[in-house]
Amino acid sequence: MSAGASTVELTGVGKRYGRMRALDDVDLAFDRGVTGLLGPNGAGKTTLLRIVATSIGADSGEVRLLGRDPSRSHADVTAVRRELGYLPQELGYPSDMTAFGFIEYVAVLKEWNDREARSQEVRRVLDAVGLADQATVRVSRLSGGQRRRVGLAQALLGDPRLVVLDEPTTGLDPAQRADLRRTLSALGHRSTVLLSTHQTEDVAALCERVVVLAGGTVRFDGAVADLVATAVGQVWLADEPGDDALVSWRTGTGRHHVVGGRPPVGADPAEPTLEDAYLLMLGPDAHRVHTPS
Amino acid sequence: MSTTPIVTDAALVAAVADEDAGALRELYERHGAWLHARLIRRCNDPEVVVEVVQDTFVALWKDARRFRHDGEVGAWLWGIAFRRMVSRLRSHRDVVLIPEWDVSPTLQQVMPSAEDQVLLGVEYGDLAAGLRRLSPEFRSVVQAVVLDGLTTKEAGRLLGVRENTVKTRLHRAKAQLRATLTEPQEGWR
Amino acid sequence: MTTRTEEWHADPALLSRYLAGALDAVTGSSVEQHVNRCATCRNAVGSLLEPRLVERTWAGIREAVERPSLPSVLRLARRCGLPEPTAVLLAGAASLRGAWLVGAFLSLSFATMAAYASGGTALAPFLLVAPLAPVLGVGAAYGPRQDPLEALIATAPYGRTKLILLRTIAVLVSVLPGTALLGLAIPGPPWLAAAWLGPALALVPMLLALAGFVGPRAAAAAVSLAWSGVVLGSTRALAPTWPVEAAQQGVYLGLAVAACAVIAIRAGADRQPGVAL
Repeated sequence: MSAGASTVELTGVGKRYGRMRALDDVDLAFDRGVTGLLGPNGAGKTTLLRIVATSIGADSGEVRLLGRDPSRSHADVTAVRRELGYLPQELGYPSDMTAFGFIEYVAVLKEWNDREARSQEVRRVLDAVGLADQATVRVSRLSGGQRRRVGLAQALLGDPRLVVLDEPTTGLDPAQRADLRRTLSALGHRSTVLLSTHQTEDVAALCERVVVLAGGTVRFDGAVADLVATAVGQVWLADEPGDDALVSWRTGTGRHHVVGGRPPVGADPAEPTLEDAYLLMLGPDAHRVHTPS
Repeated sequence: MSTTPIVTDAALVAAVADEDAGALRELYERHGAWLHARLIRRCNDPEVVVEVVQDTFVALWKDARRFRHDGEVGAWLWGIAFRRMVSRLRSHRDVVLIPEWDVSPTLQQVMPSAEDQVLLGVEYGDLAAGLRRLSPEFRSVVQAVVLDGLTTKEAGRLLGVRENTVKTRLHRAKAQLRATLTEPQEGWR
Repeated sequence: MTTRTEEWHADPALLSRYLAGALDAVTGSSVEQHVNRCATCRNAVGSLLEPRLVERTWAGIREAVERPSLPSVLRLARRCGLPEPTAVLLAGAASLRGAWLVGAFLSLSFATMAAYASGGTALAPFLLVAPLAPVLGVGAAYGPRQDPLEALIATAPYGRTKLILLRTIAVLVSVLPGTALLGLAIPGPPWLAAAWLGPALALVPMLLALAGFVGPRAAAAAVSLAWSGVVLGSTRALAPTWPVEAAQQGVYLGLAVAACAVIAIRAGADRQPGVAL
């Protein structure tokens, strides 16, 4: 791998499903650290992650993962997969597998052929997600959040250099999200972690960098703080919602939180949150994410 | 250190039946060492003992549902362990079951302190003296059936005699012990 | 006197002597009877044993408890030399479960009995079931409707194609020998006993090739229907052995070669990540 090349490089990447363009001319590069992909449903997040996880190929553009082109040869894609951890958006579990058994199965698929080393690694990742005591419980008897953590655990096998997580926070409560943040930030020191979510709280909690994706195109790519900064001066607290506000909603105090448009009469400027910036970034698409009150 | 556990053994077994490996670990912490000790006293091969202890707890894991909560968990585990060891004897001829009831001149026999003797004597009372006076064949059936908890059939298999022989010897051993107990004793009261 | 017994505990020296076997039988038994009932003394014994021994024993227990036990079929295969990682992978495949094998053999046995009882005229059941058993087994080896692990299998270094081929071979190895034995019981010319192999070894590659285009379930259905049509259709006007006579075997061979060619071409052309058998 040449010096200066990023772990993940996407240049002009496009993908269609029939007539629908899921991704359109996407240019992105990712390196060590935790990056969040933020966007409404159908924005192309899952498609992008699947391309990075070598689950599907791109129709156009260039994809380079860990310095290789996965579509060039079987050897290339296998080399990438050896350093990849992937949590798909929907993951099913064979009905009577235990948590340990499931992760062990995936470990064998990842070429952990030595039984002793494999058992130790399975125990290590179960411990990393806080499920050491549930190793022998059948997955069908675990709660939704626990199952998601089992899925996360298998993505951590072997401490891969590239970790792709599609909606890892589904079903997690705030305490578990805090645990996930710790795990991911430790992981981010050594690896490139890419996660997708449609909730801004996750990005704020887990990521240093954020990419906003909507309609298959990149709307923003940079630090979380920079995204928030784009909303400065466009968020107010007012008694009445503005006529041309992008979105607004009633807060607990009875006043209205107004985003975008001209400031309504008697409005006080408010500190923008990541969600405000996200909504502004989405522009007209914002209504798909937030219904006005 | 408190002697009353916060969670009862029976509750732990129920948790094990529910696929809780942590409960199994706790049960191992409580009973594993003593199980090991009892087995070591009866078997001269330490590796066999390790395997029997392992097999016992794995059997506990698999059969936890079958535990009837009227008995002691420790006794139940011993039943599994001892039977497993006895069946190993049949296939591993080099493993020997001890203890020897006859005092061996090579083993250093150290008697417990006088107070311990008295207190231990309370466990059996006069039975201790009576047991010493039994013939070896009678002692071995008493050891197998009464102390180790085997059925008469299993004891027969272990000792290499017919089940009826075991029953007869047990009957006569008990009669002999009863006769011993009714005799006036010296020094024990 | 009884109250003193309950408060009494064996001192460590006594317990050490017990462990060392230095107590005579009766005293030792007495100690045992006490410790059986006393949790405090049991704990004390714990600290007298070598910690590494205690840990090592536990490690063995944990290992046996955590790792799911292989189905009996695979345990047998392990003893015959199957590598351990391969056994773990196959354990995840539904079609190797004992129940499936038993079901397959039951149907084959009935079919064999029908052929035997009829003196060789009622061959249709056997000729129908014998090649279909591996076909259905391989179809099922793709996993349940949407293999829950599909996304992970597709992106793992091991490779989806390799896994499907592994499962296919496993199905064939588990089904073919038994069927061959049953075939020996079929009355008729000696070549009849193995004649069903021809269609079997043609239908399986056809299934694999077709599955690449329409998916395993549709492919299995199509192949099964086609073969049923051949066998059942031929019973009306043709000899019972027609489906497996020399001329037909030639056709099956041709189809098998074609199917393998299709598979090979597709595999060669598939360099896109994620596309495979």
